[in-house]
Amino acid sequence: MEGLLRELVPQALAVLVRRHGQFDACEDAVQEALLAAGVQWPRDGIPVSPLSWLVAVASRRLIDEWRSESARRLRESTAAALAPATPTPVPDQDDTLMLLFLCCHPWLSAPSQLALTLRAVGGLTTAEIASAFLVPEATMAQRISRAKQRIKSTGTSFDMPLGSERVERLGVVLQVLYLIFNEGYTASSGPQLQRTDLTSEAIRLARLLHRLVPAEGEVAGLLALMLLTDARRAARTHPDGTPVQLAEQRRELWDAGQIQEGTTLIDRTLGSGPLGPYQVQAAIAAVHDEAPEADATDWPQILALYEVLEIATPGPVVTLNRAVALAMVHGPRAGLALLGTLDADERMARNHRLESVRGHLLELAGDAEAARHYYQRAARMTASVPEQRYLSLRAARLAEPDEGAPPPS
Amino acid sequence: MKYILMMFGDQASMMETRSVEWIKEMIEFMGTVNDDLTNAGELVSAEGLADASQAKTVRYDGGIAVPSDGPFAESKESLAGYWIVDVESEKRALEIATHIVDFTHGPLEVRQIADAPPEY
Repeated sequence: MEGLLRELVPQALAVLVRRHGQFDACEDAVQEALLAAGVQWPRDGIPVSPLSWLVAVASRRLIDEWRSESARRLRESTAAALAPATPTPVPDQDDTLMLLFLCCHPWLSAPSQLALTLRAVGGLTTAEIASAFLVPEATMAQRISRAKQRIKSTGTSFDMPLGSERVERLGVVLQVLYLIFNEGYTASSGPQLQRTDLTSEAIRLARLLHRLVPAEGEVAGLLALMLLTDARRAARTHPDGTPVQLAEQRRELWDAGQIQEGTTLIDRTLGSGPLGPYQVQAAIAAVHDEAPEADATDWPQILALYEVLEIATPGPVVTLNRAVALAMVHGPRAGLALLGTLDADERMARNHRLESVRGHLLELAGDAEAARHYYQRAARMTASVPEQRYLSLRAARLAEPDEGAPPPS
Repeated sequence: MKYILMMFGDQASMMETRSVEWIKEMIEFMGTVNDDLTNAGELVSAEGLADASQAKTVRYDGGIAVPSDGPFAESKESLAGYWIVDVESEKRALEIATHIVDFTHGPLEVRQIADAPPEY
């Protein structure tokens, strides 16, 4: 029932917004209908036409809301209620896409885009979203309310962007979905390393988007990237919560079905046009996931793909990842030399990953003392408790030569 | 009644001198503490903070509020993390703190959260 409700929320919202405009009021009304369904459907059974039920209940809430505002609104809303409406609203595929564009409006802050998308398109309740982001419900409710006010004040209508604007806006939508996925996958706060609800939701929304715009390579690329990354979920953490590096992961725990699906997706889009960054990242993930064990990883291919990625989206993080691949192909000193070029980069100044990767490459190069120093530095810079502990552990291992260093990752 | 259990000190420096074995045991211990508190229905919140070297402090200076790099207190006296627990009495809060300090050997300050209703 929950899955059904989530699917219906954006459809119901789209119907109402088409009828009445006023995205913010309609969204509130649909949210209330969603909560009502959550109480009544388990009790009374799922209605024969669940979408019509949601639309009817939401419409009544809307009208009640307007009625309590002014007589003028009463006349307007009565007219709307009397207007001939299709008995079973037919959801337009484009409407959900439009909703996505609306919720991912570039003038909203990223947290607002995420929250609004999860609510209006994802069909999650405010409480569920608050719980996913580990903030109080009242805080999340305000964030969503303000986001909707912002949309209202920009005067955005329920119209599909076209041409270059559409390309740009689609890029923002992909970014939002990727942020949702990442939030769940790496869990930027909280003691758990992963929050699976958000990763599942991000994948579900990416699938939905892929169905809506099947010709868009980058959408397929993002979905593939999510699947290929999520496939490793079970192997990614020790039971005590510390992270397990890629090279040390037990690959029998990887989800073969997701890897298959992701690989197929990316194989299909490669060669169908210019490659975007999500497609390249997905291709890299596919190369990793296809290796039966760490030693069998096709690092030269990964290095080549990072070189492509660096052209598409140059930046210190890509360079950092390329340095790892470079080290695996041409030796740790080559990787370290590339890292050196990042030292002057302002953007990396506060980034613990630069230090931890440096530590790792030094360890591979056999310089235990220097490696230890950098692991400890990285431990001080990370904002993740599991990662603090992991890095401290790596450093401590190097101080005990009998322990032996873990296999390279 | 809610209490905050505050852990002070430079955790990173402390960890740098610890053995692999000790660190592994510490990770397991901390996990168990949180699990036990959750199962007992007492855990409200538990967080570790980023290292003091990452902190910035905003002070009121010369008529305006100004941020500057660095923590408020010296690293060795900086807040490193906390638990907020909802317990029956101060005695229970101290019992929890004692259990933790028995393992970590570092000091833990226990303070009531002032959310008691006013009495008048």
